Amino acid sequence: MEKVSRYLLVFIAILTLAIILPRLYWMAFEKPVRKPFILYSCINDDFMIHRISEKTWEDTKGQQYTREEYEQKLPMMFLKQLLASGTMPDSVNGVKLDMRDIAREKSFFRLKANEIDAPAPALYPLFESQSGRAMLDLPDDFFRITWRIEFIDAATNMVLEEKSQLFSATLFQYGFSFPAKTISGLATPRKSVDEGYLIVDAKDQLFHLKMIKGKPYVKTINVPEGLKFKYISCVDFKNKDFYAYLFSDKNEIYILTQGDYELIKWPVEGFDRSNSDLKIYGDLFNFTVVIESENQFKVIALDLDYQVVDTYTETRKLKEEQTEGKIFASLFPAQVSMTSDSSKFIRFYVSISKGLNWIIFNLLLMAFHFTLLFKRKVKLKNHLADLGIVAVSGIFGLIAIWIFPNKFFD
Amino acid sequence: MMWKLVVYKEWLKIRWFLVGYTLLGILGVGYLLLTVKHDFAFSGGKNIWNSILFLGNQFFSPLKYVSLAGGLIIAIAQYFPETVNKRIKLSFHLPLGENKVLLMMHTFGAVSLLLSFVIIFGLFSGFCLIYFPVQMVIYSLITILPWVLAGFSAYFLGALIILEPHWMFRFYYSLVGGFFLTIFFVPAVTSAYSPANSGLFVLTAILSIALLFSAYRFRKGEM
Repeated sequence: MEKVSRYLLVFIAILTLAIILPRLYWMAFEKPVRKPFILYSCINDDFMIHRISEKTWEDTKGQQYTREEYEQKLPMMFLKQLLASGTMPDSVNGVKLDMRDIAREKSFFRLKANEIDAPAPALYPLFESQSGRAMLDLPDDFFRITWRIEFIDAATNMVLEEKSQLFSATLFQYGFSFPAKTISGLATPRKSVDEGYLIVDAKDQLFHLKMIKGKPYVKTINVPEGLKFKYISCVDFKNKDFYAYLFSDKNEIYILTQGDYELIKWPVEGFDRSNSDLKIYGDLFNFTVVIESENQFKVIALDLDYQVVDTYTETRKLKEEQTEGKIFASLFPAQVSMTSDSSKFIRFYVSISKGLNWIIFNLLLMAFHFTLLFKRKVKLKNHLADLGIVAVSGIFGLIAIWIFPNKFFD
Repeated sequence: MMWKLVVYKEWLKIRWFLVGYTLLGILGVGYLLLTVKHDFAFSGGKNIWNSILFLGNQFFSPLKYVSLAGGLIIAIAQYFPETVNKRIKLSFHLPLGENKVLLMMHTFGAVSLLLSFVIIFGLFSGFCLIYFPVQMVIYSLITILPWVLAGFSAYFLGALIILEPHWMFRFYYSLVGGFFLTIFFVPAVTSAYSPANSGLFVLTAILSIALLFSAYRFRKGEM
């Protein structure tokens, strides 16, 4: 029994060391990743690259620019600066520039992988979409969707039965299958207008739900056969062209146009919602889609008809391909972390080191421990399991078996 | 019959600590709920709900280290007296088997702690259900569960460290134990621990017999 308790303690120590030692290693040796800032220029029809750490401004052909020249190539982004310096052009590509048009068409969207793999809220507020007020008010009740939709009054913590029945019945009439898989909306009063929620039901059907004058507004959205949305991010852009960016199970990106509810697939490839961060810059002429994964930086420029105009890709070395990463992979057989850049959930994220160097190091550590045992003239058969532990778990196992020594009387 | 004597002996050691800790825990929960009641009255229920649901307000965060403190208090109250003049060796002379006596003591301590936690967090959950819907209470409890498990782990590790006879190894165990406990307290959004809780439960269960190792070294005189 004591021996069992020792092995269990050794296991706990290995797990702890596999979390702590790699973390300390990376705190000491990790180098910051210098990300370029890349936008598509409507002036010279090329991507403009600002390498922030190097303080360089260039295009994809390597042509260098001064900061002022660079900003003049991106008038939609650096509007205020160009106006201040008096270098804002009157027109671009034959289009006369109007400040209101520029402001209306300008949009920015950002989605990190850890926003997708994250706990969903327990309840949502359903705003009054046509209150007649200039500012939105946070409603007094919040809803949840289980076997029906239920509104709960926050002041009394009681279900509002009449409202719940009204909305549940309406959703049911529209063919909604309870419960909901995802509920997506802008659950904040700090938005220009309320457009309610886009809800994927239990059968992957897509619905638009909002409240108008206290009554339910439900719209069933035609979704092509086989298309399933895994994540929906609603937006509140000034031009009101679309309700949301929608991400399918095949990592396709769609938009849902406002008013006519048309789903339009963007010709964007290379996005993986499990590990990519996404940024979309919209302006009067283009959308610049930036997909950032651990080793790649892909930028796609779309025109206003959502057709690809140009693409640009930069790759960088993965952490494990850098010198520090190679040394890490030689010293440590694995790394355990409770957190991940790709998720807000706490899990035991285990990554085994690549290559075979760590196996060689493990065997060296095992030989070292064997030598010590041999010098101490102990019965080796009592230590075979310990040697096996070091062979498998390397430095973690060696420290663990030293902390919990194998000293038992026969 | 013998187990009743062991339980009585352990009860005598920890009773005031257990009762005092539980009362303090109840007072803590009472204070927390008074705060919630006050916030409801002054800010309005919908704003409190909104801040919890969408603004990352973890109103129960004052409970974060309550269980950890409980585990350490009970471990010290129960096992430190045993190390004074090596009193635990008297228990090893009982006609029960050394490990059996230890596991009885340990089970009593763990069950006492469990009862205390059930009272404190049961009270918390009950009061929360007055102010929040069941989903929000469940999300809160998912977030609190690793803190409670940390309380048990602290108790088990505390026993391991106190019964270890060698100061150097006490330091090593404390180091490993301290770092191990950090995995229960990773800053995270509410209910983020849901995929990890089962694993943490298993790890805590594994630790429940950890003291057998240091107790063995204690009684064999590993000094």
